[in-house]
Order: sequence, then C-alpha cells, then structure tokens
Amino acid sequence: MSHATIVTPTPEGGFQPHTVAHHFKTAEQEFQAAKFAFWLFLVTEVMLFGGLFAAYIYYHGFYPKSFQAGGSLLDWRLGALNTMFLLTSSWTMANGVRCSQLSRRKEMVVWLWWTVVLAGGFMVVKYFEYSGKFHHGIFPFTQVWHPEGHYGEVLAGVAFPKLFFNIYFTMTGIHGLHVLVGMIAIGWLIWRGGQGRFHSGWYIPVDLIGLYWHVVDLIWIFLFPLLYLVP
Amino acid sequence: MIAFQDPLGQLPPQASTFAADHDALFYFLTWVSIGSFALILGLLTYSCVRWRRKTPDQPAASDVTHNTKLEVVWTLIPAIIVIVVFAWGFKGILPQQIAPADARKYRAEAYTWAWELYHPGATKSAGELWFEVDKPARVELTSRDVLHAFFIPAFRVKRDIVPGFRNQIWFQPTLIGDYTLFCAEYCGDQHSMMHRVVHVVDAATYVKEPWAALPETPEARGEYFFNMKGCLACHGTKADSPDPIGPTFFGIYGRKGRLSDDSEYTADEAYIHESIREPQKKIVKGRAPVMPPFDATSLSEEDVNDIIAWMKTLK
Amino acid sequence: MTTHAPAHEIPTVEGRREPDYLRVTKGFMSWVTTLDHKRIGLMYLFGVTLAFIVGGIFAMLLRAHLWNPGPDGQMFSPQDYNQLFTLHGAFMVFAFIIPAIPGSIANFALPLLIGAPDVALPKLNLASFYLWLFGTVLLSYSAITNGLDTGWTFYTPWSLKSQTAVLSAGLGVFVIGFSSIFTGLNFLVTMHKMRARGMGWFQMPLFCWAIYASSVLQVLATPVLGITVALLAFEHIYHIGVFDPAEGGDPVLFQHFFWFYSHPAVYIMILPGMGIISEVVSTHSRRPLFGYKLLAFSSIAIAVISFLVWGHHMYTSGQSEFAMQAFSFLTVLVAIPTAIKMWSWVATIWGGSIALTAPMLYAIAFLVIFTIGGLTGVYLAALAIDIHLHDTYFVVAHFHAVMMGSTAIAFFAGVHHWWPKMFGRMYNEKLASIAAIVILTGFMVTFLPQFEMGSQGMPRRYATYSEQWVGYHRASTVGAMILGAGFALMVGYLLHSLIAGRKAKPNEWGGVTLDWKCPTPPNLYNFDDEPIAGKLYDYGPTLKR
Repeated sequence: MSHATIVTPTPEGGFQPHTVAHHFKTAEQEFQAAKFAFWLFLVTEVMLFGGLFAAYIYYHGFYPKSFQAGGSLLDWRLGALNTMFLLTSSWTMANGVRCSQLSRRKEMVVWLWWTVVLAGGFMVVKYFEYSGKFHHGIFPFTQVWHPEGHYGEVLAGVAFPKLFFNIYFTMTGIHGLHVLVGMIAIGWLIWRGGQGRFHSGWYIPVDLIGLYWHVVDLIWIFLFPLLYLVP
Repeated sequence: MIAFQDPLGQLPPQASTFAADHDALFYFLTWVSIGSFALILGLLTYSCVRWRRKTPDQPAASDVTHNTKLEVVWTLIPAIIVIVVFAWGFKGILPQQIAPADARKYRAEAYTWAWELYHPGATKSAGELWFEVDKPARVELTSRDVLHAFFIPAFRVKRDIVPGFRNQIWFQPTLIGDYTLFCAEYCGDQHSMMHRVVHVVDAATYVKEPWAALPETPEARGEYFFNMKGCLACHGTKADSPDPIGPTFFGIYGRKGRLSDDSEYTADEAYIHESIREPQKKIVKGRAPVMPPFDATSLSEEDVNDIIAWMKTLK
Repeated sequence: MTTHAPAHEIPTVEGRREPDYLRVTKGFMSWVTTLDHKRIGLMYLFGVTLAFIVGGIFAMLLRAHLWNPGPDGQMFSPQDYNQLFTLHGAFMVFAFIIPAIPGSIANFALPLLIGAPDVALPKLNLASFYLWLFGTVLLSYSAITNGLDTGWTFYTPWSLKSQTAVLSAGLGVFVIGFSSIFTGLNFLVTMHKMRARGMGWFQMPLFCWAIYASSVLQVLATPVLGITVALLAFEHIYHIGVFDPAEGGDPVLFQHFFWFYSHPAVYIMILPGMGIISEVVSTHSRRPLFGYKLLAFSSIAIAVISFLVWGHHMYTSGQSEFAMQAFSFLTVLVAIPTAIKMWSWVATIWGGSIALTAPMLYAIAFLVIFTIGGLTGVYLAALAIDIHLHDTYFVVAHFHAVMMGSTAIAFFAGVHHWWPKMFGRMYNEKLASIAAIVILTGFMVTFLPQFEMGSQGMPRRYATYSEQWVGYHRASTVGAMILGAGFALMVGYLLHSLIAGRKAKPNEWGGVTLDWKCPTPPNLYNFDDEPIAGKLYDYGPTLKR
C-alpha cells in the first residue's frame, strides 16, 4: 500500500512546505493524531502533578499547624507577581498560536518572544524566593536545616516544618523544570518559526507547545493558592 | 448459617473467636470455586470432544452469537455471589476493629529482626507470648524501624506495624495449645526468623506468669536471649558461620582486633557489655554501624552477664 | 498472497507484489533504526523473552533454595534469597509482563487488525522500545552491582534503609514507566485515528478493545508511578521525609501511591492477555465471539473499576472501616466483568469447529488457570478472609495464576497464533502441543501446593520456613522445574522453526480478521491495497441454518 506523497499547501513569502508522514492518508489525519496524542500526554502531566497534590493534601491533614507556619513564611506578593507573569504569558502564547495559524510569521515570533521573556521573569522571581529561603537556613533536600531569625521563631515548636518546605520545593521545583522545558521549546519555535516553518498549512508544533504552556500555567494556578494562601 | 465443611483441609486449627466465621466464609467460597471450576472444565471438555474439527473445512455447529437472557443470567449470578461474599466478609471484620474494654493489654515492639513482647503489667519483655484461654487480649503494636506485621494464623488475625504510628489488634483465644506468631510484612534480611511461640494456657498456668520463667543456668539463659533478641540475625555461633553483617560469636570472648580509629581492642566483659548497651560507640574496623542498642528494659544487667557467660562457652 | 491484486497485475517477488517487511531492507542498522511497527514488535518480542528467561532463572533458583526449610542446608543466605525474589519480581513485572503483550504482540498485530499501515506515531514507538531497553539495562546493572532486596514493591522504610541498589533500580522502573506510557498513548491514538475505512468502534476485533482499555490505564496510572519513584529517589538522596516516619512522613502513603499505579497495572498486564484469548478462541473455533458487546464493555468496566480498588492491598494497615468497606465492595465488583468474559469464551467454544492447534491449547490452558486465578481473587477481596491470607503464599499463588498462568500463557498463545504471520514459518506443532501440556502441568504442580500452604498461614518472602511445609515446598520446586523444562522446549522449537520450519500458509489458521488479509509476512506498509473492514468475525455459513 503506497501513497502519493502529500504536501500541505504553503502560503507565499518564504515559508517552507511540510510533507505529511507516509502512514497518514491526509494532512488532517496527521494533525488530528498529533493533537490527540498531545492531549493524552497532557493528561499524564496532570496525573503526575496529581500525585504531588495528593501528598500535599495528605500531609496538610496530618500537620495543619506546620503547613500554616510554613505557608506564612512564603511571600504571597511574590507568588501573585509570578501568577501575573504566567497568566500574561498564556495570553501572549495564545496570540502566537493564532498568528502561526494565519501565517503571520513576524508577529508570531514577537508574541513568542514576549512569552519567553515573561517566563524568564517568573524564573527570576523564583530564584529570589529560593535564595531568600536558603539565606535563612531553609535548604531543600538536605540534612542542613537551621531556620534563623524570624524563621526560627515561626517554626519553633511546630511538628516537622521541614516536611512542608520539602513539599514546597518539590512541587515548585518540578513545576519550574516544566517552565524551563517550555522556554526551551518556545525558543525552538522562535528559531524554526523565523525560518518560515510554521504557517496555515502546518502549525502543529506551535499549537501543541501552546497547549503545553497553558497546562503549565494552569498547574501554577493551583500551586499558588495551595502553597501561599491556603495554609 | 450453613455449616460448610473444609473440602481440602487447608486451614489451621480454630483457636480464636474469629476463626469459625472466617472459616465458614472460606469454605463457602471453596465450594463455589470447586463448583464453577468443575462446570467450566466440564463445558470445555465436552465442547472439545463433541465439536473437534475433523475435516479442515468443517464449519462451526452453532450460529448463535448472542443471547440476552443467558448474558443477563451469567452477569447476575456472579454479581449476587460476590455481593454476598462482600457483605459476609465485611460483617466478619467489624468485631475485629474494636477491642472489648476488659481486654488484657499486651505490647509488642517489633524491630529488625526480633520482638520485644510485654505481658500485662510487665516492665521487662519476654521471648514468647502467653494468653489465657477465653480471655480477650489486646496487643498494642509499634515498630522501631521498618514495617512489620503481627500474624497468628490460628487466630486468623493480622495487622501491619507501621513505624511512627500505633496500631493495635485484639482476639480471644479459645483453644489451649501452642501456636506461632509470624512477621508477615517483609522487613529485610532475617524477615523469616521473626517467628515466636504463642501459648494459650488455662487460668491456673497463666497466673504463674510463665513468661517470667527463664532457663536455669546462666549459659542456657544467655543462649535463650541470643535466640529471642534477634542476635542470630547477624551473628553466627560456629567457627565457619558466614558473617556479612556482624562477627560470629565463636571464640569471641578475648578476641583482639582493631577499631575504626585503628586503636586496639580486646573483647573482654566490659567491651562486650558496652557493645550490647551502646553498640555505636566502638565500631570494629571494616564493619558498618548497624547494630541496634539494647537497654535495660530489653536486657537487664544480669541478662547481659548471662550472655557473656554463654559466649565464653563458644570455643 | 496477493488476493487483493487485480488479475492483470503480475506479482514480482515470490508471488507477491512487494517484498515482505523482513526482507525489504537488510542489515543491523535497518533493524535498530526501524520505524516499522512489526520490526519494533519483533525487537520487543526478543527483548521481553530474554527478560522472561532471566526472571525465570531467578525463579528456579529461589525455588531450589526452598527445597530445604533452613536455615541450615539451603542453597543461599537469606540476604541472597531476598535478592532473588526481588529480582525475580522486578524483572518479571517491569521488564517482562507489563511490556510483553503491548510491546510485542499488540505492536505487531494491532495495526494489522484495524487495517492501518503503521501505528500513528512510529518514532514514539521506537523511543518506547529504547526506553524499555535502557530501563531494563538499569535493572540488570542493579542486579549485577549491588543487587536489590526491597521486594518489587519498594516498600518504605526498608527501601530507604536497604544497602542495595535501590536508586538505579528505581530509575530503571521510572524509565520503563515512560516506555509504557508511550506505548499506551500510541495505541490510543492509533485506534482513534487510524482505523480502516468501514471499521466503526464495534467492528474492532476484541483484542483492540482489550488493548484500548489497558492503554487508558497505562496513560493514566503510570505517571503516578513516575512521581512515586521520583519521590522515593529524593527521599533516598535528600531525605525529604515524605515516606520516612523519622521525618514525619507516613510509609502507608507510599503504599497508597504505589498501589494507585500498581493495581491498575495488574490490569495493564491481564487485559491484553484476555484480548489475545478472545482472538485465538474465535479463530480456532471458527465462531464469532459470543456476546461481543458485553465482552467489549467488560474490558472497559474492568479498567474503570481498577482505579478505585488499590486500597485492598492495605486491609491490614489500619484503614478505617469505611475505607475497607468501599475498597472491598469495588474489588468484588471486578469479578463480575471477569466472569462475563469467562462465560463468553466458553460459549464461543461451545458449538464451534474446534481445532486443537498449539495456540488453542495455550488458550485452553489460560482458561483453566484463569478460572483458578479469578476465583481465588474473590477470596482475597473478602475482608475477613484477606486478613488471614494477606502476605501469605495464597496471595503468591493467586497472582501467579493471573500473571504467570494467565498473562504469560496468553502471551505465548499470541506468539504461537501470530508466529506464522510474523515470520512466514511454522513451528513443530507436535512439540508445541507437548510444551503447552507440560507448562499447564508444571503450573498446577507449582502453585496448587502454594494455595494450600498459604491457607495454612505460610507467610510469603520467607527465606526459611517451618518443617510442616516441607512437602508442599518440594512439590512446588518440582513444578517450577517442570515449568522451566516446558518453556525451554518452547524457546527451542520456536528458534528451530526460524531456520528449518516449514513455510507457513498465507492464512495458516483460516482467520477472518484483517490481519489475515494482508500478505504473509506483511509488506513494509502491511497491505497491498487499502483494506476495507467488512463484517467482523465472518466465518461464513454454519451447520445450523
């Protein structure tokens, strides 16, 4: 069973054509398959974070006081700033996806750049939050644990305060890793997009990475109140 | 309840109040299983004999591929059976959940790989368990290190022992005899050696507090503690015993060697005493600091001396 | 054969239009870089069989160790025995049973059954194979260097205290988990988007339904294993405390996490096996499957319920009565769709034209053993009984009945069923029949005594045991050796068939699903002409009517 090679239509102006993989009958089938596969991948991401959320809820029930004390030491203003960064970046990403569908190459690249910049802002704030904790003797993942000053006072006498901070570092760390991966992926989109790889005939990668970015954003929407506000 | 007999003779003696109900459900299920298994085997055999393909182009005999009535029946009958089994099993477990107020309080502390077993009112642990027949007993379960489980097959009871948490288990022995306590949750190297004798005795024997009785000679007591406190998990008693974790006790008394700081030691009475009470203090060169300490509630001064006396005989 | 080829077209290669997938390209590189689902399937087949042999050798060694009750006169030290049963479990579960049927049989047969030229995502398919390989290498590395003595379940805190290679083994499991996710995801997309023209959901062969159900589980449950193993690794390296009671963690949470994956995982293992049995029973009885829709829905029902029953592994951990009640009730419900499947298979055989071929004999062995495995599962679902039987040999025998006696035997039924399609060669059918009977016998001799011992209270994972069980243990050891002989015979005649087997007929069994309507062995892209799905399981007229 051999197919004629299918090439998706390419708009004028320096765009590169896309050849549909041999085992698909139509470009539409390829697009649908990729999109469905990516949704399933996002489901696995949600399940993965679901495990962490379950651990959070479980121990919040065990040690509500420790979570309260630990949470009070996180700065909700920084968390809110980061929420704003990510929400805005979701909007810029959505614009980027829209432009790729409409074959507006330059605009797409600009929107994607904005997304990367906002994500970078998020990471910078995270960096300051983490190093602030280290500065006060709250180290993730080590035997070294000597909360100093104000931190020491708040955490004195509560059961297993380290557990809250380890869960905080694990959750935000894995989320941060996802942001970093997203930044690299969007960087790749900018590079390939600049070459005219994505257009109305073929924009699967932009579409999918856009979806990924929204899920990363969504997970933060849950992380922020749970870690900063609920305790 | 219908009295189901034990068709295959699998279960241990019924030695607690929980056993009869458990066994009735077990036998009921066994009969259901034997019946279903025979039916399926019979149908398969019959089909394979009757409709065996004799010529290569022989078509199937039947063209029926769907029968709503039949499908409903074979969905409903298993459904009814399993819901009965569920209800029966749940009913069976309810009395196990809450111990009666007058239950005698025992305590079992598990560690790798032995038990400290405290009888009611006793401050010193014993090597085996004694229960009075027809008197409820409650055992509080704690672990020093990893997961263990308290399992007495003759009583049909089992409960995990989770470090950091308190679990408990209760039962009422009904049959005088000797049974076995097992650790049922895998806990590492010598998991299979954590079994102990459980005695169910009459009131006259029980009041004599048999758990406090020890062998007569110091040497025999020493060997008794060696077996009961789990020493045998890591230490051998023969010249050629394998010693991946701790040294063999053969010829240990008076042995000389080097510690981890390269100083010399001699295994005299003081040294062995310290090695039992505070084993982490001096580590022999090349060994890992893994031995648990034994304080006075576990082994009294006399007990330690008995162990040393026994060690002296190993040469 | 090119039955679809128009009469005027002249076949070119040995009576076929295109060269088959085995010969279309040559050389080592053409295999290790292949994107063809059939070649990847064969590489998986080769790989999982090796893992099965390694796990099997561990099994025979540990059975040999248990010949004497010990502690004196046994083959190994208790520490070595603990490593043997751990490695046996870890290899069999993670490197063999989970990937076995999806990776090899489904990879080969699923696109053929739905009339597709390949899976939807061939590169992901190859990546899945290499992840499996990497994970299995990590497991082997752990076995060779420090060993592993945590049990395949990695229960904390022992797995935090153990001096063995927990980290590298955990990483291996993590990587194999991703391989499993990729495979499941790929099949879901393939079934959704790649079905042949005319094939609606209810024209899919039942093997596809079974793979669909197990793929859903792979995609949804495996990420939880991933995060569990990751947390275990953090715990191991950094002592974050989530599973360590010394730091405020709860070891029971690890069990919840672990079984949230691993209970659905047992259905990831058994559902594809059930699918194979459906195809084999239908083809070799020349009967459409009885109660097709109920069978299809029962697979989905099992998948859905399987997510809600993980707590039945923890009846003895001190759960509340409410939790136990819910878990027990949901667990017994699984027996209903399982019973439906059993009766449907029996009704399919009833009134068929039954050929006792090698695949059919393996399928019958499956039906016999699965009945035992399923019924003993009901014992363990019942709360009061499970308290007694939990962590005894009864549990060991039960899950070997469903994993080894059912899934592994279904896997071999599938291997025998599609072997002529895979290689265009036939094995010695007489030897194959003997091997099937030997394996069935070996299974019974090995595991029936274990049910008995378990009922009497013999705990599992015991390096030494009480004298009263010597007879049972020795019978079990003899059985394990019989099983070993049966499997050795099987591997022998299968390998022999590749060199000296007779040429297979184009449609060796007279199958009517689409997989038998492409050339044997298939083309690179499977079919000569685009297949169109007709009536499913259409075996033509029967004697009645």
